[in-house]
Amino acid sequence: MSATTLPGLRTRSSATPVVRRRRLGPGKPIRFGAAIGPVLLLAIWSIGSATGWIDQRILSAPWTVVTTAGDLIADGRLQSNLWTSAQRALIGLALGIVLGVVLALISGLSRLGEAVLDGPIQIKRAIPSLALLPLLILWLGIGESMKVITILLGVFIPVYIHTHNGLRTIDSRYVELAQTVGLSQWEFIRRVVLPGALPGFLLGLRFAVTGAWLSLVVVEQINSTSGIGYMMELARTYGQTDIIIVGLVVYGALGLLSDGVVRLIQRRALSWRRTLAS
Amino acid sequence: MPRTRLYAVLSAALATVALAAGCGADKAGGDAAGTLALDAPLPTTVPDGAKIVVGDPATEVALKLSGQYDAVSKYVKFANLSGGPQTTEAFRAHALDLGSVAEIPSINATWTGLHVKIVASKFRQDPIGHPIYKLGIAPGASVKTLGDLRGKKIAYSPGQAQGALILKVLKKAGLTKEDVKLVELPSTGDVYSNALSSKQVDVAPIGGVQIKRYLAKYGKDGAATIDHGLRDDAGHLYGPVESLQDPAKAAAIRAYVAAWGIAQEWIDKHPKEWIAGYYVKDQGLSEADGQWLVDNAGHPDIPADWSDAIKRQQDTIDLLAKETGNPVIQAKDLYDLRFQTVAADAIKGGAK
Repeated sequence: MSATTLPGLRTRSSATPVVRRRRLGPGKPIRFGAAIGPVLLLAIWSIGSATGWIDQRILSAPWTVVTTAGDLIADGRLQSNLWTSAQRALIGLALGIVLGVVLALISGLSRLGEAVLDGPIQIKRAIPSLALLPLLILWLGIGESMKVITILLGVFIPVYIHTHNGLRTIDSRYVELAQTVGLSQWEFIRRVVLPGALPGFLLGLRFAVTGAWLSLVVVEQINSTSGIGYMMELARTYGQTDIIIVGLVVYGALGLLSDGVVRLIQRRALSWRRTLAS
Repeated sequence: MPRTRLYAVLSAALATVALAAGCGADKAGGDAAGTLALDAPLPTTVPDGAKIVVGDPATEVALKLSGQYDAVSKYVKFANLSGGPQTTEAFRAHALDLGSVAEIPSINATWTGLHVKIVASKFRQDPIGHPIYKLGIAPGASVKTLGDLRGKKIAYSPGQAQGALILKVLKKAGLTKEDVKLVELPSTGDVYSNALSSKQVDVAPIGGVQIKRYLAKYGKDGAATIDHGLRDDAGHLYGPVESLQDPAKAAAIRAYVAAWGIAQEWIDKHPKEWIAGYYVKDQGLSEADGQWLVDNAGHPDIPADWSDAIKRQQDTIDLLAKETGNPVIQAKDLYDLRFQTVAADAIKGGAK
């Protein structure tokens, strides 16, 4: 008894079986889906080490890494190095975020600002931090300021690029609306620009948090007496592969963790978006 | 366009702040009140407020362990740098006054236009029996004597002690660079032992714990080491001439060299404390590793007469100049002879 005859819709008769419409989105999220990849990787590593398929001398077994990490924690070396690294990374990250956002605002809201700033920032983007290090040492010496500024330089670029891009893609309807209701420049930034650029900013932040940890390895090889990068470099000098891998695992965990935190913020802050992801 | 102007002002302000941050960094250079001639007698008292930056991490630990640290830290700030590339870079940045290196960096610095002088020298007693480096042989590469090096792939690092050692070894074996395949590879961290174990090179000079680790890990695959039978034991403190021309810094450097001499002597006399305090606690090695390093280092030799050392360094310069196409320089110009007896006298004077 099908009464509906809308154009384009198949009438359902009791004679034909039910045809499920093909889903075009990725569907419902899997529980703990984020953990599946890393766990799989760990499983391959463990099985490979246990069967001797992975040479212990080339890549220490996961349990060796765990016991080495245990020894380092018992010594207190891992915590103290991690703390130093975390301080450097966080200071660099905080300064980098501020600088990135401010520059993105200047260059996003004014044509002159863009003309002046955007070029040099793109040039800086093309220069690897590692290659800049000799110059930074010449300019800033070998102290803590050089280390923080190196991290800052690595961090502000993704924040700038994504915020700038997010800001420039704000729908012009909102700009016109702001002009109609007579918002001041500051109100406009606070109520339209910042929320509108937020998705872009948060994506930039995801790049930035891992970038901050990555820069650490580079800077901690110069005149450091502490830090995860220093610990790994020292272990290289003495051929202690297991300590190097502990360092790598710590970096991986830190990256994953900080990325997770940003994604959590993303989900909270952008809960108003109805997108493919939700 | 008031808004545009606002942004222009803002970006100009930002640029100024960035520049100011760049210029405001602390420097070790300092502004010399007067300059001290390089042949004027050294001032013997360190004036108040004199500060030098020293890259000599091992001695820093020794001073702490032997209780000398507080006296020294009045005029010394330690930086965790050592080795040629890092110290010369820091000298150029005016961020360092003294560095601890081997034989080659002072020569290389001079060739690259950086004016440096050696102010302290340390060697090993029975240097042939206690070499710093051994020639690591890759698993399966049949090298038993120096003569077997012909046709082999050898890791070569120009500008480092390991590179100069390879040139000396070839000379000793009566071979030229054309008789072997030199693979340019900087020797940092564990690069050489990894290159050997993965058979990327047949021969590479490895030093310290790397020797022990390499044999322990790959000995069963046929990895081996052979002695090169040459002296490779030179260790120096050197600094940029500009620091020596500053009277306050020169006095501080002289005082540091004396303390350094006493510290080296202390290390030799207190192997147990040194292993526990430096190798285990500071460097994260096992006690067995530390013991192995102490046994292999033998005893230090800090001569009060540098003439033999200068002769040996001249031979090194001649060889390197020929191989690298750099001009021959005079080794005696690399040494600041006013410091010749400072460390040895301090040791004779007895540790406090």
